[in-house]
Amino acid sequence: MARRVALVSITLTLALTAGCADPPTQQVQDAEKALKEAQESGAATYSAEEYAKLEGTLAAMRKEVSDQEGKFGLFRDYGKAQELSASAKAESDRIKAASVQKKEEAKAAALQAQQVAEEAVRATQDLVAKAPVGKDRAAVEAIKNDVEGLKSLLKQVQASIDKEDFPAAQTQAKAIHDMSQGVSTEIQNALAKVGRGKPGRKK
Amino acid sequence: MGAVYISRTVAALLCTAGLVGCVQAVPPDLIAAVEAIDQDLIALHAPETAPEEYRQFVRQWALLKARTQLDDDVIRWPWESGDLENDIRWLYVMGERTVSQLHDRQVSQQRATQDKVTRLESQLHSIAARIEAIDGRILLGEKGVQTDLFVKQARSYLDQKDYPRAMQAAEKADHALKAQASLLSQELGRYADDNRIIYWQILAKQTIEWSRTHQATAIVVSKAERELSLYKNGRKVLSYPVRLGFNGMLEKQFQGDGATPEGRYHVTDRRGQGQTQFYRALALDYPNAEDRRRFQLAKRSGKIALSRGIGGQIEIHGADNERLALTLGCVMLDNPNMAVLYESVPVGTPVTIVGALSKQNAVASALTQFDRGKEEI
Repeated sequence: MARRVALVSITLTLALTAGCADPPTQQVQDAEKALKEAQESGAATYSAEEYAKLEGTLAAMRKEVSDQEGKFGLFRDYGKAQELSASAKAESDRIKAASVQKKEEAKAAALQAQQVAEEAVRATQDLVAKAPVGKDRAAVEAIKNDVEGLKSLLKQVQASIDKEDFPAAQTQAKAIHDMSQGVSTEIQNALAKVGRGKPGRKK
Repeated sequence: MGAVYISRTVAALLCTAGLVGCVQAVPPDLIAAVEAIDQDLIALHAPETAPEEYRQFVRQWALLKARTQLDDDVIRWPWESGDLENDIRWLYVMGERTVSQLHDRQVSQQRATQDKVTRLESQLHSIAARIEAIDGRILLGEKGVQTDLFVKQARSYLDQKDYPRAMQAAEKADHALKAQASLLSQELGRYADDNRIIYWQILAKQTIEWSRTHQATAIVVSKAERELSLYKNGRKVLSYPVRLGFNGMLEKQFQGDGATPEGRYHVTDRRGQGQTQFYRALALDYPNAEDRRRFQLAKRSGKIALSRGIGGQIEIHGADNERLALTLGCVMLDNPNMAVLYESVPVGTPVTIVGALSKQNAVASALTQFDRGKEEI
């Protein structure tokens, strides 16, 4: 009889011990860390849809862990939580890589636009040096004023790049390029009308 | 026989019940419908333009999907109520509502942004033309190109369907346009100041009166009207259009400001061919005593840097096809007109330069239009 009682006790203890599954703490932490890294890589901006879904998966994982923790030890099963954390981790890594790439592409596009704008402003500046005066002195000074303004605007492009706001940098650079071309056309028209001359004097 | 029949019937019923009970927790078409809502939200750029709404939707959907996968392992009787299915149906309804709201919001945002950007472009175009007409472009400094940049950025974002950014850029353009109008009012407000105009009218009248009483020639230049008039014996004998310094509408304060001085001057020298680079020139006695007094006062009050000079060599001259130096503040005429004027004007002729002679001058009306535009903005 005593032997039977002992056997039952051992069996129950074993069952209870085996049933008290531990939460996948490390895996959950890894998934959380991977999400943070994805966020830091700019995923919310460059992979907005996927990042939102990833956050959803993490929320489901946390809920699942919490649900299991709320159960009686013998009935806890962290299999689904493990599955979700593993999938979130893998997805985070993928999204992070994709975001880094998209960000690099946006940066490259912004830098390219910046370069084109800088060249356009430089070309306009060169044209201004050849600008005629003739009857349009005020116009030429206004053009010079605009070119100075454009040079100053180029600093804003750099500021946007520094802030990693590449879409803003790109639109700014494109606008500056267009404006430079407008000013160049204005000078070319003046050149065509008046031609070149000799330097004047101060007043 | 009867017992066998009963046993078979019971077995058949149990099998049927078992099979019917092995139904999926959520109908696949419901899942497909929610997935379709997700696609609709993506098509509406919800992750970028309505991140909070989209985040809420996908969060719910991820939680429900996880529950769906867990429930796949559970055998449910057909008569059991499906909480999960109800929750997914609720998400579907909410998702549909979000799609509809986002769609409406985007249509309205698109319309509002489109209207605003188009209005700004038209205002900028019209203001630029008016500024050009009164030579006010330089007065604006970098404000002009800055405003242009904002408007172009707004258009660019609008073309990319990024309405929030387009609206943001449009708001900045709005402020920049208002700042332009304010700056112009501040710098050129005296052209709309009745008292100032009366003072200028008195100056001109006195000059004309001097011409009459001394039976001599006199010149009156009105900057806003861009007109030079020659009087002989108190009668206007000719009027010519003129061009001014690049900042000609301003009152000259120091060397290099490009402004044309205002006040009473005299022709101090007549410069013919070979004596001037400007075809013909009539040199004026700028700066006169009043200019010097004003200049010193401005320096003492800190309005002008101590390093600045008062400038000089202000002339009424003809045109020459030459490259421009940094600063100019003269009164320029076309050469044929200059030739006539040069022949009519002796040294000592009084020259009165005023801002405007009428209250309805070009600058005042441009300023009124800017103010109207500012209200419209």
